[in-house]
Amino acid sequence: MDCKTAASLIEAYLDNELDRADARELEAHLESCAACRAALERLDDLRRRLREPDLRYAAPAALHERIAMSAQATRTSRRSPPAWLRYAAACVIAFGAGGISMRLWHAAESGNALQEQVDRDLFAAHWRALAAASPMDVVSTDQHTVKPWFAGKVPESPLVRDFAAQGFALAGGRIDYVGGGRVPVLVYRHGQHWIDVFVFASGTPMPAAAQVQGYHLVPIQLGNQPAAVVTDMEATELSSLIRLLTTPA
Amino acid sequence: MSPSANAAFVADLAQRHLDAAYNLGRWLLGNDQDAADAVHDAFVRALRAAHTYAGGNARAWWLAIVRNSCLAVLATRKRQPALRLVDAPEPADDDEVEANAAAAQAQSRLARHLRALPVEFREALLLREIEDLSYREIADALGVPIGTVMSRLSRGRALLQRSLSGGSGTQTALETKHGL
Repeated sequence: MDCKTAASLIEAYLDNELDRADARELEAHLESCAACRAALERLDDLRRRLREPDLRYAAPAALHERIAMSAQATRTSRRSPPAWLRYAAACVIAFGAGGISMRLWHAAESGNALQEQVDRDLFAAHWRALAAASPMDVVSTDQHTVKPWFAGKVPESPLVRDFAAQGFALAGGRIDYVGGGRVPVLVYRHGQHWIDVFVFASGTPMPAAAQVQGYHLVPIQLGNQPAAVVTDMEATELSSLIRLLTTPA
Repeated sequence: MSPSANAAFVADLAQRHLDAAYNLGRWLLGNDQDAADAVHDAFVRALRAAHTYAGGNARAWWLAIVRNSCLAVLATRKRQPALRLVDAPEPADDDEVEANAAAAQAQSRLARHLRALPVEFREALLLREIEDLSYREIADALGVPIGTVMSRLSRGRALLQRSLSGGSGTQTALETKHGL
């Protein structure tokens, strides 16, 4: 490779947009050409300086407030009963195994930032899926199709059951990112409502129960794995589904 | 899907990436008030356009809407050239308070030059170098082909580097064009 070709590729290389073959050829040239190396260093230096925090403007508090107020004004008035959280906790203690309620209790007391981040991720993943063209990557009402689809994509394939007869039809599954890891998600449908069941690896701490803008997050035990149900379904319907999910097959 | 899910999705997205949105608006528009107004306008637009999100990098989708709101403000300015407060070209370096810190001086010089860049180069550089968007995402945000993104980035970097290495001719020309 000559310097002219190298110069035409060097920015795409810096931007991580060069295919592997070209990148390798360019790297070979850079090994032997001090001038092109210096050019790359100058570009990298410019980027480093542009990324320094003193060139960034942070959103003023007034703007945060304006956005929060507009968000509040547009959100729908669907509200949950005030007793919901107590109800959810009762649900979990009634249906979860002994150790889980302890962990949940602990999480609720410490309310640590990691736990909150996981909750945020779960709600965001649910909303993202609702806003996307399809909330499923694999569309199937057949548990024998959905379970093998997960195998090979995640280390632990979750327990998959269809509850169509009870009004909660299995719609499919997808993989989502929660707390930086890949998590299998079972998608159920009940009337107009979509229900996501995020299934975590065995031994993962339970997410904390939460609700945001009419959406509920309820931690459950699915087989031997902790899981989180996220939906905008009403409390009574949700508890029926949770009972189905947590009852041994 | 349901409007309330869309609204919740957009609200979460906008609040998570409010600093990025404001930073982009602030660099494109040059003052606090216009930047805040443009970001708020972008939020309202995003709520209405939530159904157009078709997967992919949600932050890139949001920043594209912010960028379009900023361009709308710039277009209004062109039609009604009123006197408005835009970051004025800063005084020469020897007036800087931190005259002892060479690094700080270099940074403020860089800021001045970035501010003086024509907007098409500035926006490409902000989205790539500061917001770390891919060529494809920038092309979608700006509504131009990827080749155009690459040439604008390249030209923008070259202009910044030249002005930093003391090409004062370019700098003066750009600042005159940009000034009030």
